[in-house]
Amino acid sequence: MNDRFEQKQTPSWGWFWQAITGIGLIVLLALHMIAHHFVVPEGIRDYAGVVEYLRTPIIVVLEVAFLVTVTSHALLGVRAILFDLGLSERSERRISQALTALGVLTVGYGLWLTWTITRQI
Amino acid sequence: MLTPLQPSRVRRAARWADVRHRGLGMIAYVLNRITGIGLVVYLYLHLAVLSLLAGGPGAWDPFITLARSPLFLVLDVILIAGWLINGLNGVRVTLTGFGVGVGSQKAMFVGLMVVAIAGLIVMALMVFGG
Repeated sequence: MNDRFEQKQTPSWGWFWQAITGIGLIVLLALHMIAHHFVVPEGIRDYAGVVEYLRTPIIVVLEVAFLVTVTSHALLGVRAILFDLGLSERSERRISQALTALGVLTVGYGLWLTWTITRQI
Repeated sequence: MLTPLQPSRVRRAARWADVRHRGLGMIAYVLNRITGIGLVVYLYLHLAVLSLLAGGPGAWDPFITLARSPLFLVLDVILIAGWLINGLNGVRVTLTGFGVGVGSQKAMFVGLMVVAIAGLIVMALMVFGG
């Protein structure tokens, strides 16, 4: 346990999906940052700017894809940390279910917020 | 019903955060965990702040002044540091997990962290330079 580089990794489906969403995040986070902050003169849009930004359907698709990807990646990471506590199989199953529910709620909230803003258009 | 955490179990589980007398690999692992936990906290704070948008311009626009304050810009730079460290370290973990560069993990970690520092300097200049 002295050096993690020496340990042999045994990838699980959770690890695999975290890797896949991580790769997706490199692209989606970069797009999100450029579109939301770097090309905006003062670094953040006012309300009218946000509404205008979400007027383009492809932007809405990319933002929703970003939300789903970042939420999956984050909650898979939380799952991995909790699993390292050495819990029982039953507890691990409950944690997976709870985190899945939290992920669905998070994405649902994001969709509701996007819908609420785009209704202003 | 979740298994109650015994104090000894908690101590054992928290041992990962103690990098004393550990190798570079353990430092990489702990860095990934700490930045990961920080980014999850940030994600939910960010989503909570975005709820202001549901209140219309009267709720959102005053927040912009606060978001442009020097304290917020410092927090932005800390956030960018977390992304760069977690993201670039994650690239190493993913590559080695798929069997790429397993023998040169230490060099890869050091190289990617140098890239993270360089990227952080550039982005901090962009944040404070407007």
